Amino acid sequence: MKSRADGLVTGWTTFHLPPGIVPDGTPAVISEGSGAGPAKLMLAQFSRPGAEGLVASLLSAGPALQARPIKKLVATLGRVGKRLLDRGDPLRAEAEARLPTECGLSHAMVQEVIDGMAREWTPERLDALLAADFPDPLVLDGFRPGPRGDLLRAVGGRFALHVGAGNVPGVGVTSLFRSLLVKCPVLLKPGRGDIALSCLAARGIAEEDEALASALAVVYWPGDAGGALEEVAIREADRVVAYGGPVALSRLRERIPASTPLVPYPHRVSMGVVAREALTSPGAARAVATEAARAVAFFDQRGCVSPQAIWVEGGEKITPQEWAAFLADELEGLAKKLPQGSPAAAVASMVHQLRGSAELRKAAGSGDQVFAPPRASWTVLYEPDSIPFTPCGGRTVRVRPLESLDRLPEVLYPFRGLLQTLAVAGGEAARSQVAEIAAACGVTRVTTFREQPFPPSWWRHDGQGPLLALVRWVSLES
Amino acid sequence: MFNGLALEVFRYQVEASPVYGRFVQNRGIDPGDLEDWREIPSVPVRAFQEIPEGLVPAGPVEAVFRTSGTTRSTRRGEHRVRDLSLYRASLLATASSYLRPELEDGTGAAARGGGAPLRVLALLPPPAALPDSSLCHMAGVLHEEWDDGAGGFFADVGWSLDLVSWESALRDASRDTVPVLVLATAFSLLGWLDRRPPGDLPRLPEGSRLMETGGYKGRSRSVPKDELYSAIESVVGIPAGRIVSEYGMTELLSQFYEPVLRDLAHRKAARRHFVGPPWVRTRVLDPVTLAAAPAGTPGLLSHVDLANLDSIAAILTEDEGIEVDGGFRVLGRIQGAEPRGCSLAIEDLLEAEGSS
Repeated sequence: MKSRADGLVTGWTTFHLPPGIVPDGTPAVISEGSGAGPAKLMLAQFSRPGAEGLVASLLSAGPALQARPIKKLVATLGRVGKRLLDRGDPLRAEAEARLPTECGLSHAMVQEVIDGMAREWTPERLDALLAADFPDPLVLDGFRPGPRGDLLRAVGGRFALHVGAGNVPGVGVTSLFRSLLVKCPVLLKPGRGDIALSCLAARGIAEEDEALASALAVVYWPGDAGGALEEVAIREADRVVAYGGPVALSRLRERIPASTPLVPYPHRVSMGVVAREALTSPGAARAVATEAARAVAFFDQRGCVSPQAIWVEGGEKITPQEWAAFLADELEGLAKKLPQGSPAAAVASMVHQLRGSAELRKAAGSGDQVFAPPRASWTVLYEPDSIPFTPCGGRTVRVRPLESLDRLPEVLYPFRGLLQTLAVAGGEAARSQVAEIAAACGVTRVTTFREQPFPPSWWRHDGQGPLLALVRWVSLES
Repeated sequence: MFNGLALEVFRYQVEASPVYGRFVQNRGIDPGDLEDWREIPSVPVRAFQEIPEGLVPAGPVEAVFRTSGTTRSTRRGEHRVRDLSLYRASLLATASSYLRPELEDGTGAAARGGGAPLRVLALLPPPAALPDSSLCHMAGVLHEEWDDGAGGFFADVGWSLDLVSWESALRDASRDTVPVLVLATAFSLLGWLDRRPPGDLPRLPEGSRLMETGGYKGRSRSVPKDELYSAIESVVGIPAGRIVSEYGMTELLSQFYEPVLRDLAHRKAARRHFVGPPWVRTRVLDPVTLAAAPAGTPGLLSHVDLANLDSIAAILTEDEGIEVDGGFRVLGRIQGAEPRGCSLAIEDLLEAEGSS
């Protein structure tokens, strides 16, 4: 895992390159975050000719990749996925060793997160993903009969740049696999907390099938330090896929040629709803709290799928406030089983600001309740009033009473355009009602608290088929 | 001395503000038991947005100062001030110490009209235009107390700068050989230097000085302080050693200054960190545990400001700072050491709405 760079510094590599390609710039070293201990990151640097060479090499791998049957691709990628899922595999062991420092999650959480993500990279799940986006996945191999007698083929393109963001491990690998499934050579720039898993998956692919590895590169660079490689990649890409905040995405959009499509995955917010039927007995209510607590705690609540607020319908045996106390209990239990990693200073600061403000509202007689241990390891804020709402992270969740499900549109409205997953606990009628409201408010996934943290491979990612977003259709008319 | 006063103020505030009183009580703290000002429960600055009316005793107020910026997810913070004379006394004494330290030599007091004549030129909106800005109020007090009668304010309610009048006022001061005190934000100084009218300016008279406050947060352009200072020196001749940075917050009625003018007067090396008046204490806290951060480690700034007599003295900020030699440096609004995930955060809401 640690390799000598220049004879002076050792550190973690942050890149995986196609066979025969080496960085030709002076290696740069940066220090890694605060997790389990400091580490050095060795960055690959490329001169302009070096960058041109890397991208040309990826482009030249295109024809062989496109000639590869989709079934074979699924089998190879699926084997890598299964290795990352296997806690006894050396690839997996290396990921577990490196991730706590790299992304600031605890080791126990890292295990759960890799399990949850890698489950979607197995052959069965990759097949399911293909089937969801392509009724006939063989359209990726050649022209196939379409519904109107025409022949249809889906083309992934010559080369794509994928830009990950943030520190949710696994996002990069998912993006990498998607590009290879549509047979498009790819340069992945992973997020800062997602370097190791991305590089290890690339290495796994190289170990399984060296020819396939010539169609992909993983190179990390910090923020605006992409240099020649980023410039060349943006110029040559048929498509750019990017995760990030509004500023990063709009800066990227400005740099991409107008004719190059951008597939943006902006930051999102997710929530939960507990309907009356789930609150008829302490046992039922607690069972929902157990699952909701896991959804909050996963990724230390950094995921776009992590619920930041949960609305609880009133008028049943278990009141919203009592349910908030259940949720707090469960989060306390998880603090031991799945401990929090090292929270970012800004998140911890916000947690204290929110807790203190809630305590003052409570002191003013508002009915607010704060459930929290002294450290900023988790927080449940029970808020009876609909005050403006700030997503916080760091396992900080608001529980708010909802008079009835009919009021849901008004509480979701302030987040229009930003919503992603809504978890629902309750009966089938409640689920249907919530789903209709959610659809109208811009939510793109309605699920249970249990499934909330890990969307299936075939999910409509932010409302769109993830592979369909990466292809162009060609029709051959009769 | 500070300890006793701080505890007395704390006990007064627990009685005077029922909300703060219950807040303290809910934490299981008996105000009578406290022996150290560091144990006084602090109120987060965010409470000034969320529950400003709960932070002051019931009854009329003389002014309401507001923080800038409002979005669908945040409101503007409000500091309700019951007694402006206390604010005036606090800000004037501190400003005297750090902007006119020469007044302390000789008379030892910054009496009205004391010391040599001074002209106060503020690149700020006048307080009458922005009555809810504590910065403009403060500049108004300094202008009222210290100006020789020819100074004034050179921005309008929307912070547009009247650069023609501004430069003409600078020329007048040179012609009259009256030293100038410039009051400005870093951003307004930058706006001036970027869009200067043509023509050189004369050097300002000996003894001129400049107070600069506020960062460039959310602004389109920022430059390092030393570049800003050397640009000012080359345009109007105020040497960087006579440029004083001020750090203030709407939520505090006391201010912090770099003691560079005092150091200059005492022929000491200039200290570029913030110090406050004797009635304020500042701590640097670990952002996770809120325990004191180890010396030299950055953390959250937390102040106990006894000038906040009629609101809450103990305030937990969201600013990151580091303790330095009896004062502190401000590193800015606290940021994540590592990037966060793909979840939406407050910055996204602010960015999405184009607010600062």
